[in-house]
Amino acid sequence: MKHLSKDQISKCLIGDATPEETQHAWDCADCRAELTRVESAFSDFRSSAQHWSQRADATDGAIPWNVRIEVATLKGLYGGHETIAGIGSLLIHVAAVGLLLFAGTLPPVQKAMKDFVPLFAPDLKPLQPKPKTEQSKGGGGSPQKTAETKGELPKVAARSFVPPIRPQDDPKLALNPTIVAPDMPNINAPNYGNPLAGIGIPSAGNGIGTGIGAGKGPGVGPGNGGGFGGAVYKIGGGVSAPVPIYKPEPEYSEEARRAKWQGAVLLAIVVDENGVPKDVKVVRSLGLGLDQKAIEAVQKWRFKPGLKDGKAVPVSANIEVNFRLL
Amino acid sequence: MPESSPVADEPLAGIDDFESIVREHRPRVFRFLLASLRDKESAENLTQDCFVRAFKARDQFRGESKPGTWLMHIAANLIRDHEANSRLKFWRRKLRSDVDPNDLSDWIPDQQRSPEAIALAREQVEAIWKAASTLSERQRTVFLLRFVEDMDVLEIAAVTGMKEGTVKTHLFRAVQSVRLGLEEGK
Repeated sequence: MKHLSKDQISKCLIGDATPEETQHAWDCADCRAELTRVESAFSDFRSSAQHWSQRADATDGAIPWNVRIEVATLKGLYGGHETIAGIGSLLIHVAAVGLLLFAGTLPPVQKAMKDFVPLFAPDLKPLQPKPKTEQSKGGGGSPQKTAETKGELPKVAARSFVPPIRPQDDPKLALNPTIVAPDMPNINAPNYGNPLAGIGIPSAGNGIGTGIGAGKGPGVGPGNGGGFGGAVYKIGGGVSAPVPIYKPEPEYSEEARRAKWQGAVLLAIVVDENGVPKDVKVVRSLGLGLDQKAIEAVQKWRFKPGLKDGKAVPVSANIEVNFRLL
Repeated sequence: MPESSPVADEPLAGIDDFESIVREHRPRVFRFLLASLRDKESAENLTQDCFVRAFKARDQFRGESKPGTWLMHIAANLIRDHEANSRLKFWRRKLRSDVDPNDLSDWIPDQQRSPEAIALAREQVEAIWKAASTLSERQRTVFLLRFVEDMDVLEIAAVTGMKEGTVKTHLFRAVQSVRLGLEEGK
């Protein structure tokens, strides 16, 4: 029979070997030697454990077991002094709370409590957006060459689905043309148009959009967007011209002075209800920096605003600024 | 004879009875705990805990097994709890420097042996301790009960609460591991 395997020797060691294996371990010198070797190592191991525990097993310092038992079982956590412990605990808590309350009455603490941090809350009212003043807007017209003609004003609606010009013949879903405008004086006319316009070839005006007039958008008139009218009036027809009340002279530019350049710059401006010029544009340029100087000067001008029916309205005007070298 | 209330006398009598049990079994319990934990302080604490537990539960001891087995059973449970707790405290494992090798090998082997044999025996014992420390808690318990406390498989089964087959399996694996450690230590 061949020698015992490692597993078989382990089984012999733990006493779990078959009788044959045990017998072989006895008979075979090699296997017995191996077994003896391991067993003696285990035996030494046992001796070392015993020796170590004997050396370490001293009750020095450790609480004797019976004292621990007494503490654990007989006396309880407070050793029978539950009442004293309870009262003591109560007193300690009362003292702690009392100390906190007393600390609150001390002058430094009181002072610290009075020192408050001011929160800066600025008044935001002046920064809030101003409510938009109700302004009549207008505009519209399809890009035709002629100005809008006198005619019946289309129905006013919130949205213009069908523009008032050249309605489709025999539409599948008939829809009356509408414009976006306030209620307007209506007239009886065979075509759509601006009730305030002159008579001419039927036209919705030369603006851009679906409205009537020279402006942009679905309204009536020269303005932008819906509504009737225009943001800016033109002088004439009951609209008085704005009158300049403060007109500082423009400066000469250095280049133009050197070149002895003279002439006039034509500017288109809008004078608003407050007499302040806006939307300054150059209509006729002079060059050599004089356009810029003219714009700067005109922006400083102040006007008596143009009036319509006694009310200040924004009016567009052309201003010629002259540059003359003395 | 003065009358005394039996309620007051019973714990005292119990402690007196218990005293002898402690005196008899304490070294063994301590040895087992020390070998398992390799930490003197923990072993002492757990030995105390073991007897406190036993004292508290002495009414439940029905004499089905020997008191020694019963105490070792408590000790084995304590070790399991202790391992579960100290698994969380992994840093303690680091702090607890491995036991001084002198503690393990500073035992006086047979004076008859040659110095070489003594050195070899010490090396082997150290290798076994090292191998035992790498065993799982169950394997180590079974191994120590078998080879330090010299218990048979049935007793080990009673102490650990495992089935006999399970004990054998753990024991076999433990012996294989330790023998591997011995081979490596050569």
